[in-house]
Amino acid sequence: MTSGQSERVCTGISGLDEMLEGGLIRARPYVVSGTSGSGKTTFGIQFLHQGVKQGERALLVAIDEPPSEIRENFRALGWDVGKIRILDVHPTAKSYSKRVSLVEVAAQRSVGALREAAPNAKSEALKQASPEISIQSLQLMLKQELQDIKYARVVIDSVTSLKKLSEGMEDTRSSISSLLRFVSESEVTALIITDLPDPAELESEIFLARGEVRLHKRMVANRIDRFVTIEKFRGSDHDTMPRPMTLSERGITVDARKKIPKASLRTLQAFTQYAR
Amino acid sequence: MAKEKVKTGVPGLDEMLNGGLIPGRSYVVSGTSGSGKTTLGIQFLMQGATQGERVIYVCLDEPPNEIKHNMRSFGWDLGNMQVFDATPDVMNYDKTPVRDVSTERRVLYFRDVGEEIRKTPDYSPVDVTINTIQEVLKQEMKVRKYSRIVIDSLTSLRYFYIRTSEENSSMISFFRLMSDLGVTSLLTVQLPEIAKPDVEVHMSRGEIRLHKWIDGRGLMRGVTVEKYRGSNHDDRLRPMKITYEGVVVKMASPVRETHDSDSVLDAIEEMMSSKENTALQAQIQDAPSSPQNDPVKPTDDAKPEDKSKRESKSGSGGESQ
Repeated sequence: MTSGQSERVCTGISGLDEMLEGGLIRARPYVVSGTSGSGKTTFGIQFLHQGVKQGERALLVAIDEPPSEIRENFRALGWDVGKIRILDVHPTAKSYSKRVSLVEVAAQRSVGALREAAPNAKSEALKQASPEISIQSLQLMLKQELQDIKYARVVIDSVTSLKKLSEGMEDTRSSISSLLRFVSESEVTALIITDLPDPAELESEIFLARGEVRLHKRMVANRIDRFVTIEKFRGSDHDTMPRPMTLSERGITVDARKKIPKASLRTLQAFTQYAR
Repeated sequence: MAKEKVKTGVPGLDEMLNGGLIPGRSYVVSGTSGSGKTTLGIQFLMQGATQGERVIYVCLDEPPNEIKHNMRSFGWDLGNMQVFDATPDVMNYDKTPVRDVSTERRVLYFRDVGEEIRKTPDYSPVDVTINTIQEVLKQEMKVRKYSRIVIDSLTSLRYFYIRTSEENSSMISFFRLMSDLGVTSLLTVQLPEIAKPDVEVHMSRGEIRLHKWIDGRGLMRGVTVEKYRGSNHDDRLRPMKITYEGVVVKMASPVRETHDSDSVLDAIEEMMSSKENTALQAQIQDAPSSPQNDPVKPTDDAKPEDKSKRESKSGSGGESQ
């Protein structure tokens, strides 16, 4: 399989781009999956940071963590993430919430540059409204945002939380399908961050995404061992081997030329089920 | 079998299927994401198209422009293949009227599919349900006599176009429609990493399962024929590759014999023998092919693990469906 004439998007992790035969295919949605602490958010920020470095517009949809904390965390690593724009959908003070309509939700939340996020960023207006977050309202917010600014990259961190927040409010399956369709039609390259799914469950975002990069974190002997696999990548050839990965102050690095140690492979095999 | 079998177009797979698929019946191609279901489906249609048959692809998860683009890497020209774009519109979550997909979208040739994704119209997006898809298929079959159809994927149809309470009954009626249409169909089914038996596999006349796992050599692929009503078939796991020519199955070497001691299959055998892994045990016992429906003639050279697998199946055969 050749890469054809598809336009590639660098992930910001050179070893991973090598595994992907040049990067992700532009304007398609992808899933990054992994257990907690496996480096999913770091990957997301690195992906957006790469875009900003290339002069693109990049948007982080922050659901799991408030933007101020994300900024703190990456500042501690010495990264300048000021140019990444952030849509704050962190569910603040939900218990006090008064239901407001979807349109109001979209109007309440604004996109602020990450550098504007004050350490205690919770605007008064936000506190009063405390709108409920759902997949539908996120789609409407994104629609509003993308009308104004032409983003090249979007990261949604994480869709697992988003689905939990939407439970009982809507049919999450078809809402996820609509959200991904919306992202595709908007022609942004999207990374959708997902917790490692229950192996007996089928998560809609994973089977609808055009590819899945999985981050693995395992205890091998007495240290944490990290590696990355490409589970699926439509329309392109890709590296089929698990490759070692490091998570440090330089972010994620992947060595696409190295094999993972035998001991790590064994833990992966034990985890890999028959009929996968 | 009087009727000539339908060639899948996948080298090696037709041998596993003892010549191919029985015409006019519905088959499931199952596998986890990235296992090659879409590629196999398109390859099946390409085979028909090159033989001069009419073929149609119904896409439900991936937009047709991307399918067209992706398949170029195999050097396949899908131009003369018909496609029905049943991918959903973006929902606009307000009260604007929705229109029925069967009146709004037409079956077209792949060559007429644009390079960019089809955009949701600003007003009244199109509503796709299982009923409207059935309607389109019925109309289409009256106009043209198709001999092959691929629905990609049946899982999307189930997840996004059927109300949860009606899932099973709608799936059963969908299979009935496919039989009535008299067309040989491949329906792709997305499996979670631990597969559980589902109505679509139960209703199908056969299941081709695509496997993928990681061992010392990296990502490995294999294929099994899990069920094939009315025909003898190969009952081994065979190695499979996705190459520049599409999906290729190697009949000569069963996967088991080529594996080194590190292989994941050893781990699987271990898991199968341990009582602890109940999920996997259940999966094996509930394997969709119940013995009474399945005229499998076990080959004598089957490995011991095959036998134990079969025994555990027949042990629970009565209630497995």
